[in-house]
Amino acid sequence: MMRKCHLNTCPVGVATQDPVLRKRFAGKPEHVINYFFFVAEEARELMAKLGIRKFSDLIGRSDLLDVKKGIEHWKAKGLDFTRVFHVPNMPPAHVGGPARYNCERQDHGLEKALDYRLIELAKPALERGERVAIDMPIRNINRTVGAMLSGTIARLYAHEGLPEDTIHIRFAGSAGQSFGAFLARGVTLELIGDTNDYCGKGLSGGRISVQPSPKFRGEPTQNIITGNVVLYGAIAGEAYFRGVAGERFAVRNSGAQAVVEGVGDHGCEYMTGGTVVVLGMTGRNFGAGMSGGIAYVLDEDGSFAQRCNTAMVQMEPVLSEAEQEGKVSRDLWHQGKSDEAILKGMIEDHARHTGSMQAKQILENWNACRGKFVKVFPNEYRRALGELAAKGKKLAA
Amino acid sequence: MGKVTGFLEYQRLAETAEPSRERVKHYREFIAHLPDQEASIQGARCMDCGTPFCMTGCPINNIIPDWNDLVYKQNWKQALDALHSTNNFPEFTGRICPAPCEEACTLNISNAPVGIKSIEHAIIDKGWDMGWVAPQPPAHKTGRRAAVVGSGPAGLACAQQLARAGHEVVVFEKNDRIGGLLRYGIPDFKMEKSLIDRRMEQMSAEGVVFRVNQDVGGNVAARDLVQEFDAVVLTGGAEQPRDLPIPGRDLDGIYFAMDFLPLQNRRVAGDKNVPDLLATGKQVVIIGGGDTGSDCVGTSNRHGAKSVAQFELLPQPPAHENKLLTWPDWPVKLRSSSSHEEGCSRDWAVTTKSFRGEGGKVKALVAARVEWKMDKASGQLKMTEISGSEFEMPADLVLLAMGFVGPLQKVLDAFGVAKDQRGNARAGTDGPGCYATSVAKVFAAGDMRRGQSLVVWAIREGRQCARAVDEFLMGSSELPR
Repeated sequence: MMRKCHLNTCPVGVATQDPVLRKRFAGKPEHVINYFFFVAEEARELMAKLGIRKFSDLIGRSDLLDVKKGIEHWKAKGLDFTRVFHVPNMPPAHVGGPARYNCERQDHGLEKALDYRLIELAKPALERGERVAIDMPIRNINRTVGAMLSGTIARLYAHEGLPEDTIHIRFAGSAGQSFGAFLARGVTLELIGDTNDYCGKGLSGGRISVQPSPKFRGEPTQNIITGNVVLYGAIAGEAYFRGVAGERFAVRNSGAQAVVEGVGDHGCEYMTGGTVVVLGMTGRNFGAGMSGGIAYVLDEDGSFAQRCNTAMVQMEPVLSEAEQEGKVSRDLWHQGKSDEAILKGMIEDHARHTGSMQAKQILENWNACRGKFVKVFPNEYRRALGELAAKGKKLAA
Repeated sequence: MGKVTGFLEYQRLAETAEPSRERVKHYREFIAHLPDQEASIQGARCMDCGTPFCMTGCPINNIIPDWNDLVYKQNWKQALDALHSTNNFPEFTGRICPAPCEEACTLNISNAPVGIKSIEHAIIDKGWDMGWVAPQPPAHKTGRRAAVVGSGPAGLACAQQLARAGHEVVVFEKNDRIGGLLRYGIPDFKMEKSLIDRRMEQMSAEGVVFRVNQDVGGNVAARDLVQEFDAVVLTGGAEQPRDLPIPGRDLDGIYFAMDFLPLQNRRVAGDKNVPDLLATGKQVVIIGGGDTGSDCVGTSNRHGAKSVAQFELLPQPPAHENKLLTWPDWPVKLRSSSSHEEGCSRDWAVTTKSFRGEGGKVKALVAARVEWKMDKASGQLKMTEISGSEFEMPADLVLLAMGFVGPLQKVLDAFGVAKDQRGNARAGTDGPGCYATSVAKVFAAGDMRRGQSLVVWAIREGRQCARAVDEFLMGSSELPR
């Protein structure tokens, strides 16, 4: 009927937040119920006509498909689906033929998840708030490590979680997918090694730090340490990667802060909040669709402008605190702090948590290096900060 | 798409009409198209739904959102091209189409629909005023000849399309002027006849030859046409009126609507010796509540009738439809035409039982009220007379406007084409061989094929049939489907 869900002008009040238009919504839950009853009824009638009793008996019955309709259409000319619709000669499932629909439960091996051990070992912290330190190896078969532990914390303490660093876990090895997903406040995952994709997905207040094994001889700013789509939809917490991340780093991040020594394409895509520091090269299309938060990118050779998507963001220099005080209204300061203070503080944290040489060198030559950083400032964020300040002043007056 | 928030900002605006009191004194059109600025604002109300139901509600699939947007942006020339790309005669439909598109408009669910018809009216009138409507003669002639029998909207649309495809087209019309019901059915006050003349001029320049007073099946033999032409298209309309065979039917003063309406169009056209069938000073009763009946109301009032009453057999429909049930389809609801506004009494669920006369002239009709109930067995509405509800209505002119049962059989029989159960020429509308009758080289379109319908459906069939004929003649066709 309408395809205007993105314009807030849905005339029947379905896909809109406009109170005037929402009043026009005439639907009732009963209509949906009725609709499904009709669907079910019609499906039953059609099945009865075909002599089929159960839905599962329909699966794979390509011989019942009506293939005549639409054949007159010019686009359909020359199309022949007989091979696609061919039914191999084999007995039905109930007399020993192959299964044609889901007949067995999938075994996720959940009982073998590392998190059961972590929950067990973290009992003093979970029950009494005592500090706990855990040391264990990790392999890439260990997926979503930390998520069930975080779930346990959330059940006991909700989003508040535990005091910072209450549960400190040191892993060594190569972590599987979604390492530290949904990690709760009070948990620190310190990994010596590398991670797969989706590390820190939905990060919810915990801290993740990843650094290469001391045996690794490569240059961290030139080597991948974590996979694609890291910190997807993170909402709070910190993450430090002494190495380069894959594509879509911090996509849809809405509140976490992260430091990384290089990213692939589409960094900070659709980001709406939080802070990202990149101490190295980026791929193309950085900041596409970014509407909130700030990214600080080290642009050593001045080529970042070619790779930043400026449809929704602006690139600015990172001023010293004194300069910023003089030139920029405090209303527009990210998190109420100066860029220099935020950036320097995060690089210091990165050095502390990962032992990054890149971070140490930057801090040693801070005055020279600060000027090489580019601040990526979303236009929408700037507008929102301005409006918030104006609103605040109006309320105060 | 117009303006994104246009529908929230602007109200639907009706075209201005001359007051009833004034307009019944003449036979000219009395509705003015919207000025450019107003039309632009009406275009801004279009929401560019994404799935435009207006386009499927329209029988010729007018690309309505596109020209709404173009008018909003005051891009009139392009709007005219978009409009003409699907509609040969927007000046006809922009005046007399009941606008099923507006019923299907998504805005109609919860608001007043976009004034699509008024925008169409504004575009085409401006197009003619600016001289943008020019002949489009074909670049190449094919050397094939096609005869079109009947010059109503289906025949004209078919002829124009075929001529533009490069065929030599001859239109045969049994009356003395081209246009069919457009010419002699629809009164001048709804659509002035100069509009047809203007189109004919364009079509003549495109190569269409018009021949009037050619009664195919009468003074012109069907056999000759089939021999002389490579294809023959039958677009003779559905002229056979539904009769009311009740006692007193043979009294003087009882006429079919189509015995009455054409005479007035002839008078307006300046013809001499037009028979004196007038409603002046008479008590007129019109039987039939449709558009033809409404045209009789308007014409009778202009004649200066003493009183005008209209009877309808079906019950009075509700003033407003339940849009959740009817949208986007054409809803049954009470519709009042401009002729009704000019004064007439309307009565529903009335059946006429007999005519009473004096000295061979009708003086009154005897009618009764009926009740409509669903027949459980068949699921159809069945009518029963309410006993004791009989009443008499004085009348000295009775006009029968109860619809048309089908085409004149004479033409179909002359060609020997097969007919469907309702006596229409039998031909499909889809796939290979569409619009072709059972007789080789002979095609049929419009009311002659589908039975009585709207002008816009006739245009659709004429256009589609032209493509079928072009394909038949050339093996393939570039004409729109």
